[in-house]
Amino acid sequence: MSHIIRFKIKDIQPEKEVVFKEFGIPKIDLVSEKIQQLYSEAIKVFRETSKPIVIYSEISKEKFQNIFKGEGNNSAETPVDKIFPKADNLILFALTMGKEVSEKIEILFKENDFALGSMLDNIASLSADNAVKKMEELAAKDTKNHEENYLILAYSPGYCGWDISGQKKLFEYLHPEKIGITLNDSFLMIPLKSVSGVLISRKSEIHKFENNFSFCSLCKTKSCLERM
Amino acid sequence: MEILNQISEYLQQGDDDKVFALTKEAIEQDLNPKVILDNSLIAGMNIIGEKFKKHEIFLPDVLMSAKAMYAGLDQLKPLLASKGISGLGKVVIGTVQGDLHDIGKNLVGIMLKGAGFDVIDLGKDVPPEKFVETAKRENAKLIGMSALLTTTMTNMKKVVDLVRKDNSDIKVIIGGAPVSKEFADEIGADAYAYDAGNAVECVKELI
Ligand code: B1M
Repeated sequence: MSHIIRFKIKDIQPEKEVVFKEFGIPKIDLVSEKIQQLYSEAIKVFRETSKPIVIYSEISKEKFQNIFKGEGNNSAETPVDKIFPKADNLILFALTMGKEVSEKIEILFKENDFALGSMLDNIASLSADNAVKKMEELAAKDTKNHEENYLILAYSPGYCGWDISGQKKLFEYLHPEKIGITLNDSFLMIPLKSVSGVLISRKSEIHKFENNFSFCSLCKTKSCLERM
Repeated sequence: MEILNQISEYLQQGDDDKVFALTKEAIEQDLNPKVILDNSLIAGMNIIGEKFKKHEIFLPDVLMSAKAMYAGLDQLKPLLASKGISGLGKVVIGTVQGDLHDIGKNLVGIMLKGAGFDVIDLGKDVPPEKFVETAKRENAKLIGMSALLTTTMTNMKKVVDLVRKDNSDIKVIIGGAPVSKEFADEIGADAYAYDAGNAVECVKELI
């Protein structure tokens, strides 16, 4: 059975420091009054336009196996297919900041208001990431297992060898259209500021992997392991 | 000329209202639109670019200046077009098919426009054929692609292959967090840029 919950904006809104860091600004007091005002304006627009919401459902390993196979486009070996069979619990989710905030960002860029558009874009993206973290926390509260080193992490289609086309089967199971998310022909979610995936819970060791998969040789980013 | 310096100054301060008003005034004074463009708007953006490179200002400052630049450029565009004057060259940019991450690509577009290029931004999730067809139709000299997913990086090669198949002299530049110089070499792209400022330098070198 699936559940739908709305996030409180204050629970997922990123810290000012974090937003500035995204812009390469190491310290708040280094920026001009103008940038401070820009941030305040972006936060105001963010609060007015974002409607964060999630749909989630527990799923058995057997059913998840089928979703993970997706359209058959995954890399031969991926971190997720090594990790999920060892999980205690799997929760499928899709969340969005809503269509209004994504539309507002596009409008701001069309109006050449790049500074406000980018600030809002970063705040909305960071909030989407924070909403995923919130889901990890919620799942942690629900689990009976409060042992040390217990870790609940989200993995997403599009992440390290799990092809983005995996979103199709995920959608067929979860029906995120109930909260206003649809998939386009390239398997991308509309509205843009949306994240889907599976929460995998178990002791932290199971999440560890070496980044020597076939696709890793192509990829310069070695940050996949940093979130543990 | 005083008014051109003033436009450049206000552009650097990110004051779009002032840049709008002064550009209007400069046009009314019958100053050559190409001179207004080069000596005030592009000159101002070049100074901003340099300051950004030296970490004297931050990205939002650059973006506010870019908005101010447009307040002037939008008035000059029809005048430049009527005189048959174009910018530094046309470039087509976009995020590759299957990918939605466009924050980096947008920055690259803004910086290229600020440097004086005519940028056609195809947006995100752009099919390989669309990059090449648009570049040919628009007589663009360069295609710039961005990818953030390891599963979509491979679509960059499809574009390079389409360009090479036609024996076209369109250059290809790529970027995005997982992309590297090695990957660019491997797929036969002309250049890899690690950030938006570097993208401007690479494009200037290529065309
Ligand atoms: C043409 O020439 C050039 C030259 C230089 C160029 C260039 C082109 N393009 C870029 N550059 C260069 O210049 C820029 C700087 O000046 C730089 O651009 P960048 O784009 O690198 O940098 C930007 C300025 C800032 N960086 C970014 O904007 C990307 C940051 C991260 C956190 C990120 C964000 C923000 C988002 N995401 Co997404 N996201 C992640 C990213 C993780 C990370 N740390 O990188 C990544 C890329 N995402 C990922 C995934 C999987 C996804 N995301 C998704 C969603 C999102 C958000 C909506 C939350 C948001 C979108 C923002 C947007 N509008 O683009 C999902 C899809 C959503 C959908 N609608 O379908 C989804 C597909 C997950 C899902 N199934 O839900 C992961 C990819 C995994 C992989 N290894 O391939 C990911 C690494 C996160 C992770 N750790 O899992 C340079 O690279």
